[in-house]
Amino acid sequence: MTRFTAAFLPNRVVDRTTTSLIVVFWAGAALLVWVTSPFKTLPTPGEIWRAFGELWWQGGLGPETFTTMRLIAHATLLTVVISLLLSYATVVAFLRPVVQAVSKLRFLGITGLVFPFTLMTGGGYSLKVALLTFGMTTFFVTSMAQVVVEIPRSEFDYMRVLGASELRILWEVVVRGTLDKALDVLRQNVAMGWAMITMVEGISRAEGGIGALILNENKHFLLAEVYAILFVILILGLGMDYGMGALTNILCPYVVIRRVRR
Amino acid sequence: MSKDEVLLDVAGVRLELGESLILEDLSFQVIDRVREGTITGQVVGLLGPSGVGKTRLLRIIAGLDVPDKGTVRGQNGAELDPGSVGYVFQDYPLLQHRTVRSNLELAGRIGGMTAEKAHKRASELLETFRLTDRGTFYPAQLSGGQRQRVAIAQQIMQPCRLLLMDEPFSGLDPEALDSVMRLIVEVANMDELNTIVLVTHDIRAAMVVSDTLHMLGRERKPDKPVTGARVVWSYDMVERGLAWQEDVVHLPAFGDLEKEIKARFKEL
Repeated sequence: MTRFTAAFLPNRVVDRTTTSLIVVFWAGAALLVWVTSPFKTLPTPGEIWRAFGELWWQGGLGPETFTTMRLIAHATLLTVVISLLLSYATVVAFLRPVVQAVSKLRFLGITGLVFPFTLMTGGGYSLKVALLTFGMTTFFVTSMAQVVVEIPRSEFDYMRVLGASELRILWEVVVRGTLDKALDVLRQNVAMGWAMITMVEGISRAEGGIGALILNENKHFLLAEVYAILFVILILGLGMDYGMGALTNILCPYVVIRRVRR
Repeated sequence: MSKDEVLLDVAGVRLELGESLILEDLSFQVIDRVREGTITGQVVGLLGPSGVGKTRLLRIIAGLDVPDKGTVRGQNGAELDPGSVGYVFQDYPLLQHRTVRSNLELAGRIGGMTAEKAHKRASELLETFRLTDRGTFYPAQLSGGQRQRVAIAQQIMQPCRLLLMDEPFSGLDPEALDSVMRLIVEVANMDELNTIVLVTHDIRAAMVVSDTLHMLGRERKPDKPVTGARVVWSYDMVERGLAWQEDVVHLPAFGDLEKEIKARFKEL
């Protein structure tokens, strides 16, 4: 069996060159579909590139991107602190209902919470941080609390027979032992943050941001500009995702060892 | 220390889980085995079929579970609690985010050692357990046998007279099995008062390393409810001249006893 045949069969390991060729094939196929697309609503790559240049040099795309990055970073930091504290709190029976309640709030839409959050934060930048943090926290807590709940009892018992205090067990088994999973959950939640950014920045457009910019271009039906901004969001999101993956590999080298190729 | 000193006393242990009676009136003692001119620790093998409650019993001895009735006491009648008893679990759990050396040092630090002392002790044990070149490895990089050695080394980082081992012989190839059997005897004989209690299905391996064997089982008599597990037969390998012997497996008495135990095992 050649290495190329293996790429078409289930549960086969393919080498790095074959993987690269597969990626190039699909990227080429996507580009071909795009260029030959009969839909007029899909601008051509050239139109998008031109729109990107205009937005960057005249439309203030650079500063708007920075505004959004600052908002995402601020909300992510708050989300990490609040969510991890809540998730680790699941080991305390008294606090468990609070964590479960926060997790259930994920079913509430952000739009309905704008009014109470505006009253609480006074609107503007603080409102956007609060909404984004709320949106990400409810999902982060749901995933991370599940990670903590699924830690096998044997890991706690093992530390107990070593004579570790419960606080030490919390640190070693719950906090450090799940660090790789926490980073993975954070990775997913940052992606969700990017998905929510248009809605959040659209609520209060005064400070601008990439979400406000995309809504303005959308209003004037400037599709090439909209797609140019979407590409910027995609590239930034993927960049952050790759960076966080690299961070996980640095902070948790044992995760790389545990990964099994299939 | 006196001869016949009781090092572990398990008395009248009863454990129910829901509707099931797991252990009932289970008792045995571990007595200090004294051999003039040598340091001889104790190795006690607990044999029994799957699901009889061997692991439950170990958890009770370790202080991880509380029996519904009965007591477990150590030397001088001291109560045992987690941290005073070493326990090598069946799947050898180790902290995956720490290296082998770091796992060992952590055990020492938890036991109250200074960082320097823990480092020195870890180095000694890595050498004793032939793991010096694995100190910087993570648990995921170790073979099953190496993980087991690290798990045992971690449990004896701090002075611990009683070491419990759950199925230490399972899944080992013949060479690794020999190595683990030697290791168990070496660890037991590090101190006169060291005691290893191991549970296993492997009758032959248990016979080779143990000075005492207890067989756990449930009594099944017609017209009577099945009892919880208790010690149904005990074998003093010292009295039979089968303990502490090189190549004991070649002795006719060893083969006869093995057949007897296997026959009884089938009755359980």
